[in-house]
Amino acid sequence: MINFDEEIEKFQPSLEIEQAEDVITNNDLTDVSDILKELLKENKDK
Amino acid sequence: MVCPNCGSNMSDKKTQCERCGTDLTLYRKIIRTSNSYYNNGLARAKVHDLSGAVVALRKCLELNKMHTSARNLLGLTYFAMGETVSALSEWVISKHFQPGNNDANEYIQKIQANPTRLDTINQAIKRYNSALTFSKQGSEDLAIIQLKKVVTLNPNFIRAYQLLALLHMKCGEYEKAKRYLNKASKIDVSNTTTLRFMRELESPAAKDMELNPEAEHNYNYSSTIVPVSTYREDKPNIIAFVNLVIGVLIGLAFMAFLGLPSLKNNNNSNTVEGENKTTTQVLLKQKEDEIKDLTTKNSDLNNKIKDLQTQIDTAVVPGDVAGSFDAVLAVTGQYITELGKSKGSRDFTAIADSLAAIDDTKLDSEAATNLLKSMRDTVYPDIAGENYHKGHLKYNSKKYDEAVILFKKAMQFDSKDVDYVYFVARCYDYMDDNTNATLYYNKVITGFPDSDRVKSAKQFLNKIQG
Repeated sequence: MINFDEEIEKFQPSLEIEQAEDVITNNDLTDVSDILKELLKENKDK
Repeated sequence: MVCPNCGSNMSDKKTQCERCGTDLTLYRKIIRTSNSYYNNGLARAKVHDLSGAVVALRKCLELNKMHTSARNLLGLTYFAMGETVSALSEWVISKHFQPGNNDANEYIQKIQANPTRLDTINQAIKRYNSALTFSKQGSEDLAIIQLKKVVTLNPNFIRAYQLLALLHMKCGEYEKAKRYLNKASKIDVSNTTTLRFMRELESPAAKDMELNPEAEHNYNYSSTIVPVSTYREDKPNIIAFVNLVIGVLIGLAFMAFLGLPSLKNNNNSNTVEGENKTTTQVLLKQKEDEIKDLTTKNSDLNNKIKDLQTQIDTAVVPGDVAGSFDAVLAVTGQYITELGKSKGSRDFTAIADSLAAIDDTKLDSEAATNLLKSMRDTVYPDIAGENYHKGHLKYNSKKYDEAVILFKKAMQFDSKDVDYVYFVARCYDYMDDNTNATLYYNKVITGFPDSDRVKSAKQFLNKIQG
């Protein structure tokens, strides 16, 4: 039997269109390729 | 493939950058894995496994953020799940990494081209957030109302369906919950939350509730049960009877003090009204009589008008008499003018014609008639003689047609001279007009029996008839 209150708490508010700009600006776009580049750079510096 | 160190383009098969010498083995593995996740996400999206597609595409982008196809597909998947803001964010980022030749441009343009649709989506999001707040505050009814509106505005909003189903489950309305979960399941077939809720609906406890809903409802009904009071036999209620009598008395008093005076007033007003009515009827009759009299007078006057009109029409127009007198005066004026001239230059021809044109019967004045007679006696013989003279000239030159006109004119002004008639007959005789010749010969014979012309007229007549 599920706990309804817990389940409701899991639901998060949806982003409104006015907030789209903030989402795009604050999006962390770091990927593994970036990490790899960092590693390569560190190795080169050493 | 682009070298992550120096950014130079190279073949996908190279394991080392030709420009900077960087070992690309690991990088190539990352790109391959990223592509593999993209393919996985694409395959899932094709079969409506949107949640699975989102997970795979996110993995793809974590490995290679520049994978615009994966980002565009992720945006489309979000859009299909009703998460419009997330979709727009992905497309904007995709456009940032690849400004040209990017499908994201088209997606963004389509969204922006329909502001009404965008506004509707935003309204749905706001209502969803509001419903979520109500849900957390324990106001399930309000939350359900809001969420129903949300799924109407945005029918792909999976989270709204899930929350709606959860709230119905909480209220014990499993059938409704199932319906909404089925709808969510059609959009996203393998959403873990949806599947979890559906499994909950299929649990033995939920089935018991579904099969025996009264078990829950009994509790609710218990709060509305009202205890039944003990039975008491009715006894005669004297106070009620007394109250009834008092009420009747008050009613009668009301009638006496308020109702009757008003009734009297009504009667009085009715009497006055009746009197007014009678007076009006009398006046009406008087007016009707007046109208009849006036109508009769009117018809009499019309008859008189008709009679007078008839008299006018039949009466002699005085203007005609005046006209005759005018002619008399005019011809008199002409006559006086001619008399003023020397004897040789006088011309009475026009005067004779004017005198002949005047109708003596229209003249009431004897003086005028006498004046005309005296003028005619003076003018006519001269004119007749003149015409006879001219006619004889024409007769001698054998122009009988012209001569007969002049002889006839001489006859018109002087009918007592036999020569005028005789030569008219002679002209007709020469013109072989035997009928007229006979007529005028007879006129000579009968009209002037003592004349010298009678003998000749008889001879010529015998010749014609002979």
